[in-house]
Amino acid sequence: MKILVCIKQVPDMESRFKANSQGVWFEETDLAFRMNEYDEYAVEQAVQLKEQLGDAPEVTVLSIGPDRVVEAIKKALAMGCDRGVHVQDPAAATRDPWQIASIIASHAGDKGYDLILTGMQSQDRGSAQVGVTVAEELGYACATTLVGFAFSDGTVTAKRELEGGIKGVVRLRTPALVTCQLGLNVPRYPTLPNIMKAKKKEIQTIAVAELLKEEPLATTVSFHPPARKGGGIVLEGDVGVLVDQLLGILKDKTAVLR
Amino acid sequence: MYLELTEEQRLIQETAREFAGAELEPLAARLDREDDREAFLGNLKKLAALGFMGLNVKDAYGGAEAGVVAFSVAMTEIARACAATAVTVSVNNMVCEVIQAVGSEAQKQAYIPRICSGEYAAGSFALTETGAGSDPSGMTTRAVADGDGFVLNGAKIFITSAPYAGVFVVWAVTDPEAPKGKGISCFLVEAGTPGLIIGKQEQKMGQHASATNEVLFDDCRIPGSALMGKLNDGFRIAVAELAGGRIGIGSLGLGVGLAAMDYATRYATERAQFGQRISNFQAIQWKIADSYTELEAARLLLMNAAFRKESGKPFAKEASMAKLYATEAANRACYNGLQMLGGYGYSQDFPVERYARDARITSIYEGTNEIQRVIIAREILRNFA
Ligand SMILES: Cc1cc2nc3c(=O)[nH]c(=O)nc-3n(C[C@H](O)[C@H](O)[C@H](O)COP(=O)(O)OP(=O)(O)OC[C@H]3O[C@@H](n4cnc5c(N)ncnc54)[C@H](O)[C@@H]3O)c2cc1C
Repeated sequence: MKILVCIKQVPDMESRFKANSQGVWFEETDLAFRMNEYDEYAVEQAVQLKEQLGDAPEVTVLSIGPDRVVEAIKKALAMGCDRGVHVQDPAAATRDPWQIASIIASHAGDKGYDLILTGMQSQDRGSAQVGVTVAEELGYACATTLVGFAFSDGTVTAKRELEGGIKGVVRLRTPALVTCQLGLNVPRYPTLPNIMKAKKKEIQTIAVAELLKEEPLATTVSFHPPARKGGGIVLEGDVGVLVDQLLGILKDKTAVLR
Repeated sequence: MYLELTEEQRLIQETAREFAGAELEPLAARLDREDDREAFLGNLKKLAALGFMGLNVKDAYGGAEAGVVAFSVAMTEIARACAATAVTVSVNNMVCEVIQAVGSEAQKQAYIPRICSGEYAAGSFALTETGAGSDPSGMTTRAVADGDGFVLNGAKIFITSAPYAGVFVVWAVTDPEAPKGKGISCFLVEAGTPGLIIGKQEQKMGQHASATNEVLFDDCRIPGSALMGKLNDGFRIAVAELAGGRIGIGSLGLGVGLAAMDYATRYATERAQFGQRISNFQAIQWKIADSYTELEAARLLLMNAAFRKESGKPFAKEASMAKLYATEAANRACYNGLQMLGGYGYSQDFPVERYARDARITSIYEGTNEIQRVIIAREILRNFA
């Protein structure tokens, strides 16, 4: 069995973002990067499946981006993936989901992966398009937003999160692609010995030009960091009146009392 | 000159930070105020499972083989969340390293994997006595050869982790006639050995969750195989290993200092007086500028000492400089941070008073900072004499 996990390295979302000089994406200097949270669920699920199947599957982890993404690949290797593929692309942040999906699909096209796992979306771009587009390009069965996963006899049983707390269960024959949501599992911390041993695992580097043949279908034209938080609202006066005012605000402006 | 961490070192730092944030930080205030040894030891076990007890220890003995720089950055991240946990991790690493450096193959196999795996919650480093603190060569604990073993008599004080340590590295006088420091040997004593008594636990100012106890030896009989290194060569071992430990304590201090300044700086951007954020006042800005500058200098001194040790270069002077500077910078950062919170800094509802108490010991243990200055000056003057 062959498994592919696709991961992205994203900035720490607690960071202060500012627009880059072209004003179409954020400025990267001064940001700390880490593995996209949803991709950690994908890595964890792949490693759990490998453990379930007695180490038999070979798990490849792929990431597209500049050299810094090797750190995310190494984390996935330390968590238990077997080999890495780094699609070297200093301009990855400017690509649209179609191009990213096309890069992955052209890598995966002739590899015969039985199962591909991705995050549900990236924490920074949040398009939630890459996984489903890869499935479409490869002609794989696809289920999104997984909060539960089981595998036996070539069949994935996926529990999906729908709106409003509703769940649905779908069954897919492999080859299949699933996208992973918060709640699917608790990603392990890589152990220190495994971080060091992951140094010996192979990471193949492929120049993006070898895999990317598609023009973008969509272009980001501007980027807007959140406005600085306002000073809040100060209520003054008699307590009885204040309580009513506060209730009114909570009802109108927040979801707390709905 | 290359000042960046490697990818592996960054991943170790990230793992330490995430674990500490998720598991240690939420418990730290409670462990400071009340005794919950089970919770404290539970976290140590998890840290062991992740490989934090033998960062600079060989894979063959269950270590991570991650090196000294990784040890330093991991200590800093753990200490940001819980200094009591950090000191335990630092001493455990030091105990593993001393056994790795001078132990026999059998001793290495017997003890290092147990500490690294968490089977032993801790190892203890038992050097200090009431009459022998800054001057450990003045110790009086005796080990007398008896048949094919030794009998220990005497008392140690301030021994970190003693109540839950699985093994003790113990220094004792084996040749009372020898010149100062030449008649001391080093032994490995297992917990539960008859005659090994865990005495009174200190009531300390800070780092409460980490136990600090008297350890007494009352006709404590140990086998000949408990001798570590050569007979009468123990003092040299202690001096050499404490140098490495100082990188751990300096890194711990740095973590506590950063925690204090990060908390206080965030507070200063929220707290308003005179109709504006207090971070607008230059008096507050200068505290922020001074403390972060000092903490950055401390970090670079620590990285240099760690890198030298990792590269097999002499590092004793650099480790003393880093320990001295980092722990004093940390104390000043805690003082500044507490001041920036005003009265709230002095209240237990905020963590900065705890940081200040936790940081205070770092300029004292593993060699007081006066002793660090003695070492640094001696090393420098050697080149002028
Ligand atoms: C919480 C805690 C944990 C500890 N853990 C351990 C442990 O695990 N194992 C262990 O063996 N020990 C441990 N210690 C002991 C610690 O290392 C000693 O307290 C320390 O080395 C100082 O010794 P002392 O307390 O006897 O002070 P003293 O040596 O009596 O020093 C008193 C003062 O005199 C100064 N002084 C002494 N000599 C000189 C000199 N030559 N020049 C200038 N100034 C000098 C000192 O700097 C200090 O300011 C721990 C201590 C504490 C408080």
